[in-house]
Amino acid sequence: MATFINLNKTKNHTVTLNKSGKYAAFLHNLSGKFIFELKEKNIYLDIYGLFVGKKTDKFEVETIQHHIGPECTSNLLIKGVFYDESKFIYQGLIRLEKSAQKSHAYQKNQNLMMSDKCFLDSRPFLEILANDVFCTHGSTTGRLNEDQLHYLQTRAIAKKTAEQLLIDGFINEILGKIAAYESKEHTKRLSDFSSS
Amino acid sequence: MQQSNLDFEYKFGFSMPQKYTFKSKKGLDEGVVKMISQMKKEPVWMTEFRLKAYGIFKKKPMPDWGADLSKINFDSMYYYIKPTDKQVNSWEDLPAEIKNTYDRIGVPEAEKKFLAGVSAQYESEVVYESINKELNKQGVLFCDMDTGLKKYPHLVKKYFGTLIPPHDNKFAALNSATWSGGSFVYIPKGVKVKMPLQAYFRINAERFGQFERTLIIAEEGAYVHYIEGCTAPIYTTQSLHSAVVEIFVHKNARVRYTTVQNWSNNVYNLVTKRARADENAIMEWVDCNIGSKVTMKYPSVYLYGEGARGEVLSIAYAGKNQHQDAGAKMLHFAPRTSSRIISKSISKAGGRTSYRGLVQIMPGAKKSSVYVSCDALILDEKSRSDTYPYMKIKQNDVSIQHEATVEKLGEEKLFYLTSKGISKSDAEGLLVNGFIDPVVKEIPLEYSIELNRLINLEMSGSVG
Repeated sequence: MATFINLNKTKNHTVTLNKSGKYAAFLHNLSGKFIFELKEKNIYLDIYGLFVGKKTDKFEVETIQHHIGPECTSNLLIKGVFYDESKFIYQGLIRLEKSAQKSHAYQKNQNLMMSDKCFLDSRPFLEILANDVFCTHGSTTGRLNEDQLHYLQTRAIAKKTAEQLLIDGFINEILGKIAAYESKEHTKRLSDFSSS
Repeated sequence: MQQSNLDFEYKFGFSMPQKYTFKSKKGLDEGVVKMISQMKKEPVWMTEFRLKAYGIFKKKPMPDWGADLSKINFDSMYYYIKPTDKQVNSWEDLPAEIKNTYDRIGVPEAEKKFLAGVSAQYESEVVYESINKELNKQGVLFCDMDTGLKKYPHLVKKYFGTLIPPHDNKFAALNSATWSGGSFVYIPKGVKVKMPLQAYFRINAERFGQFERTLIIAEEGAYVHYIEGCTAPIYTTQSLHSAVVEIFVHKNARVRYTTVQNWSNNVYNLVTKRARADENAIMEWVDCNIGSKVTMKYPSVYLYGEGARGEVLSIAYAGKNQHQDAGAKMLHFAPRTSSRIISKSISKAGGRTSYRGLVQIMPGAKKSSVYVSCDALILDEKSRSDTYPYMKIKQNDVSIQHEATVEKLGEEKLFYLTSKGISKSDAEGLLVNGFIDPVVKEIPLEYSIELNRLINLEMSGSVG
């Protein structure tokens, strides 16, 4: 099992990995600059981030996946749900140094905008200095899927409930991944966080 | 293993002896700006516009992001050169050296086949121009910008500098102060120009900055495809090319602007290109950056009208000592606007490509959609590729998608092709051409053939 790093508990902003192996990092509603340094060969790092913005919440988040060692994989998934007048400013950088050959780096940011007053700024950057690598990043932003909402409503599920079901499904992807590391109570608490 | 290299002789890298009727002194000051305006016998408002822009240029700092521009020396450049005294309309009347230069790029050849009108820029004045009679009958105006200002001052004054004001950025200010040549295109209401309008640009004088200014106006329901292709001779000191292109696409109109940029590897290509799209208008930029030392260019579409659509399709190639910092900007101001950006970049032999883009959704731009896709190939370990997309979203009823990949050429594909007896460099050429094909197929045939040949040339190091 991978070594679990809960950034909400460690309060660290820089995670330096000097040993081969599997790691998983998690952050929830944290602002700041988070640097992940992969310095050794054969490091496999998953990074999960969950953001739920309400009222006038404002998150300014920067992540850096810095690959120095060769043959590493880093995989970042950040999901956000934004209500009211919340703001989310996200900058994610994947930097692969020349020494990081045969590396894979992924970055995904998916956001749900639940209000027309929220503000979203997403900057998924790549700086690739090695050639024998594979990197992707993707970012999607939008509202809940109207077809899915409609379907649930035709099944006599109230709109509010249907919305909550879809949001739960959306953030459960992250909760499911970290459930193995965290106590059940904690994941349950997170799920409570997400409801409007 | 077969060696693939980039050390080919630059195809268009020749320079003609300079024979100029007038050349301004080195460097830029108010006197030079006034002199340019006087030489062109411009109206007072334009002289004032230039002087004001020069003041802004002096105050504006250099951009602190993007490519390295520290080697540009504004004081060692000439800002205005007038190659011949008057404009000529027929090919035979052109001076021999200029004709020679054009012959090598193939202007007359291309014209025979395809051209609706040629406006070839040699230094700062447009010296050769032929406009299809049919276009004239339709009321289409296509001339160089200086002539446009003389003959249609009201049209020019109404639009000039309104979309890209001098204070937009340092290089837009420099262009506004020193502009010379470029194209003026006006398409009246409902007129659809069937054949593309083309213009060729060249830089021939050493240390000479070329600051052409293009203004395209498509009235309601009009259509035009404008093509700009560049090649330039090789010189040892840096040249600066800093154009400003403003395009107005009115209701239901459609404009496509295709660029094939192949400056030689000593040119700084710092260009501001922007279009405004009104209700249900369509603006398309097809942007190919193959040459230059440094390019910084981000064609933009301001989607002001409901239902407007913007598109940027771009290819960037960076070889030895090249940095292509190119991309696109889409600003959504109105409901139901849509945009699409497809970017393909290739870096090789130590070259660096950077995609830099902005997608901004303003409040009220409901039901807008955006799709951005950036793919990059890195062909060797010396090269580098960056992706810097910015997304600012102030409206929730929208759909935004962005994706990017960076990879090397597929080894299995290369192996498969070489196992069929295709040489490694040919196989690389095939794969790279396949990679850029989605954009290349949007370019007119003669350009896409040229581009495919150029890619093969870059891959194999020999002229095919």
